[in-house]
Amino acid sequence: MHRLARVYPYRSRAGCRARSFATSHSRHSAIIHTEHAQSLNESTNALVSFPTKNHNPNPHGPLSNLTVAIKDNICTIHLPTTCSSGMLRHFTSPFDATAVELLKAGGASIIGKANCDEFGMGSLNVNSIHGPVVNPYHSPNEKSIPWAERERRSAGGSSGGSAAAVAAGMCDAALGTDTGGSIRLPASYCGITGLKPSYGLISRWGVVSFADSLDCVGVLGKSVDTVKTVFESISSYDPKDPTAATPHTRERAKASAESLLSTLDADLSDPDLSSLRIGIPQEYFPSELNTTIVTAVRKVLERLSSLGAQLIPVSLPSTPYALSAYYVIASAEASSNLARYDGVQYGTRFPLLPGADKSKPGNVYAHTRSAGFGAEVQKRILLGTYALTADAFDNYFLQAQRVRQRIKTDFDSAFRIPNAQLSNPSPNPDGVDVILHPSAIRTAPRLDSDAVSGLGPYLQDVMAVPASLAGLPTVSVPAGLAADGWPIGVSVVGQWGSDELVMCIGKVIERTSDEDDGPMADAIFGFDDVICGLDAAT
Amino acid sequence: MLVRRCPWRSIQLRLHQLWRPRQIHTREAIHDKRWPGWQVIIGIEVHAQIKSRRKLFSESFTSRPGETPNTTVSAFDSAFPGTLPTLNPKCVELAVRTALALNSKVHYHSAFDRKHYFYSDLPAGYQITQRYSPLASGGYIKLSKGDVSVGITQIQLEQDTAKSTFDGLRRTSLIDLNRAGSGLMEIVSEPDMRSPEEAAHYVRTLQAVLRCVGSSDGNMEQGSFRCDVNVSVNKHGQPHGTRCEIKNLNSVKFMMIAITSEVFRHIELLESGRSVPQDTRGFDENKAETFKLRSKADSPDYRYMPDPNIPPLLISEEYLETIRKTMPDLPDATLARLLNLGLSERDADVLMAVDSGREVGFDGELGKDAVTYFDSLAQQRDPRVVVNWMTHELIGQLTARKETFSDNPVSVEQLGELIDMVQDSKITGTSGKLLLKHIIANRSSSAPSVLAQELSLEAVSEDDNTSTRAWCVEAIEALPDEAEAVRRGNLRVLNKLVGKVMQLSRGRADAQNARVVLEDVLRR
Repeated sequence: MHRLARVYPYRSRAGCRARSFATSHSRHSAIIHTEHAQSLNESTNALVSFPTKNHNPNPHGPLSNLTVAIKDNICTIHLPTTCSSGMLRHFTSPFDATAVELLKAGGASIIGKANCDEFGMGSLNVNSIHGPVVNPYHSPNEKSIPWAERERRSAGGSSGGSAAAVAAGMCDAALGTDTGGSIRLPASYCGITGLKPSYGLISRWGVVSFADSLDCVGVLGKSVDTVKTVFESISSYDPKDPTAATPHTRERAKASAESLLSTLDADLSDPDLSSLRIGIPQEYFPSELNTTIVTAVRKVLERLSSLGAQLIPVSLPSTPYALSAYYVIASAEASSNLARYDGVQYGTRFPLLPGADKSKPGNVYAHTRSAGFGAEVQKRILLGTYALTADAFDNYFLQAQRVRQRIKTDFDSAFRIPNAQLSNPSPNPDGVDVILHPSAIRTAPRLDSDAVSGLGPYLQDVMAVPASLAGLPTVSVPAGLAADGWPIGVSVVGQWGSDELVMCIGKVIERTSDEDDGPMADAIFGFDDVICGLDAAT
Repeated sequence: MLVRRCPWRSIQLRLHQLWRPRQIHTREAIHDKRWPGWQVIIGIEVHAQIKSRRKLFSESFTSRPGETPNTTVSAFDSAFPGTLPTLNPKCVELAVRTALALNSKVHYHSAFDRKHYFYSDLPAGYQITQRYSPLASGGYIKLSKGDVSVGITQIQLEQDTAKSTFDGLRRTSLIDLNRAGSGLMEIVSEPDMRSPEEAAHYVRTLQAVLRCVGSSDGNMEQGSFRCDVNVSVNKHGQPHGTRCEIKNLNSVKFMMIAITSEVFRHIELLESGRSVPQDTRGFDENKAETFKLRSKADSPDYRYMPDPNIPPLLISEEYLETIRKTMPDLPDATLARLLNLGLSERDADVLMAVDSGREVGFDGELGKDAVTYFDSLAQQRDPRVVVNWMTHELIGQLTARKETFSDNPVSVEQLGELIDMVQDSKITGTSGKLLLKHIIANRSSSAPSVLAQELSLEAVSEDDNTSTRAWCVEAIEALPDEAEAVRRGNLRVLNKLVGKVMQLSRGRADAQNARVVLEDVLRR
């Protein structure tokens, strides 16, 4: 079995994470790879379907050295798209999502579909017909225990399967979706990099809608470079997505960030950050925040400061209202988007019990919808339905939209780079270039703890939703370990369209953490233990 | 277009508009013998299918009546997960044409909303419509009869539903998604009509306008034009009564019967001291009466929500100007223009009547239309001569062949040359008619001058009396009795001999000349 490890040289030490995967490993057999991924999967439950054969239409494309997992709410023509829901248990889409099409065209190998919370609703990847995802991370405190018997913690959600697949080394990168933190939170919990791009950059055609105005396709990967390569290959204008940013808007945003980017060279070991202004939002350090997380973030800030970056306190005063506004808007849109799952045209239909009253169509619909949707989805449909009723619309839905507008204004007045989506943005020379905050208020919770029930899961999103409401790019990169030995992530938020900038800063943080935490980083990808675990299993 | 704006401000504004009490229109009281003392108030909501080639938000073709079920359906139309809408600009253009034709104010900014309800003919569980900011509002239409003008409240774009039919034998509902997602224009009138007849005039005038601008077939029987009618009654001088809405009326005749029966039902209720409950009602064609579908209390909450996928529809003044310039004239404007050219009202009516029955093309492409044909012909020609050839000869011959104007095989160039040849006496009028008949019958695309030569139809020139003289001699020999009568001084019989000459010459001889030659020959 140790031989296998050599077949997968890309499972290299974390210290090499920043190195391009394309040069760090050679081409390998997809079939053997699938077997390997399946065995790793037994202990993570990250992937839920695998291709029977590997048909790569472009084996010499720029992504041909890349293995990718696709979140199960992104449509694929050759694999089922269940959204982890009983409603779509047997559903296979008649088309590929644009993002998948682009990956295939680039020559990427798709290794399978990744587990997720049902329709993307959840923060811990426990709401799934496929069962919960188990975080592959093996804490240094548990070094003596085999990997397969490690502490069972959540991988985060809703893109938990995508994050776990990357963290366990089943693939180089994974596509996820992020509606209110669904990429950033699992990236943080699993100790990998996760990018939620600016809203509208990656086509949503083929992405099963949860909340259209918030849903973003994003990338999870081992390193910022991997994430960047994948992002660049799928971030293009798609006329099939009516919310796609036009080439013109993309150009405008790019031009605005250009001058700053040209001064930063993230590839240098000691990049000069003296032109960079980093905002530290006071609202993002609530009392619930684990103190060791604050310590880790402070460490990151110290390093950035030592490279010349200016640290500037900023205020985003509407932040406290963001979570409530987010849940109203996301649930309202979800109640609308999920109305189509009625068992009439496609998907699962649960036959009525004999003698049931069929005189009202509502009874027939209610039966299928009650049986097909999980508890969390039903809860949100009910909340969203209520928010849209004539009596509640003004107080809930419209009020939430007002809050959303305020949050956007907060960000626009904090940033120095103007918002390319506005026709006449006012200049803000005193603004900051990026905002930095912890990705989550804690490390991954145990799957059997209280944190996975009650209000806990909703609070996980508190740091992530403002950027979602404003449609801003955010990258979460690993930033060391908390006292419990589990990974911490920091988030870099930028103005709309500053995706390259946030990844650039992300890379600087990644490089500097590698330097500091060499031995610790080894532990994050405690690969030898993984292999031992496999040996024990076989 | 892609700047995503928060739509709540416009929503709030709109909510207030919706709750504002309806403005009461003052019109002189109409005394109807059927219901003395009572005033009838009617408003009509029309759903007209947009005659676009493709659906409102998807690439699939719109279907024609009789199409095999479930053949013009895309993944979006059947609400497959992961699909997104893309607004079809052709539908917008046709709705804008309609709005301009109805003197409506097209908004520079309008938006789409979702209306939710569960039904098997609505695959997404919601219909995309324009609840909070419609495409256009205000406007009016002058009815074709009487001096009545009906106000237009608003015009909005929305999706059509699928069609469900109940198979009683198999006790199953069958769903045809062909229609799902086709574009509809909802045209809401003010409550400005006062009798079933006015309602009928409104519907007919609106149908004519839609056909004229090419935005809809306007066909009630085939379901491309559906009416929901609001009816209320009140005593003269009193405020308006409670209205009831009658849904899905599919012919003008049934609409009038439904309104009449509803008026009597309301009066009966009111006269017996009861009140009219605000119901939504259906119409039973066999019993000629309405029946209750649901009361206001059971009216569903549609949970309207701004559609988060479709960016606001922004329309510029330049765009409106282009549409205004390129869209077809309205019937009133066309009539005025034709009369101005010197056409008689009768001739103008004939031309316009030809067009009112023509097929409306997809995406506003107008089929062959008689007025445009006339306009091209009348350039540099006498409009009155042209209209004579068109109405009497061209349309006359097509009608005799049971063909319509859309079958017309004669090009503008052909008929133009033909008219010119007759006007320049290169051929006689009789030959011209013969030539036209030949072109229509043989679907010939040759130039009339070439055909005239081939068929030896060129007029005999006045100088060439040899041929005419020969035909005259032949005619006299053929009709000796008539020739004798003329010789005796009965000049009226001469016409018969002229006719014979024309027959022998196959119309090539000039009748006036033949008369002179005949008289000359007979005098000898």
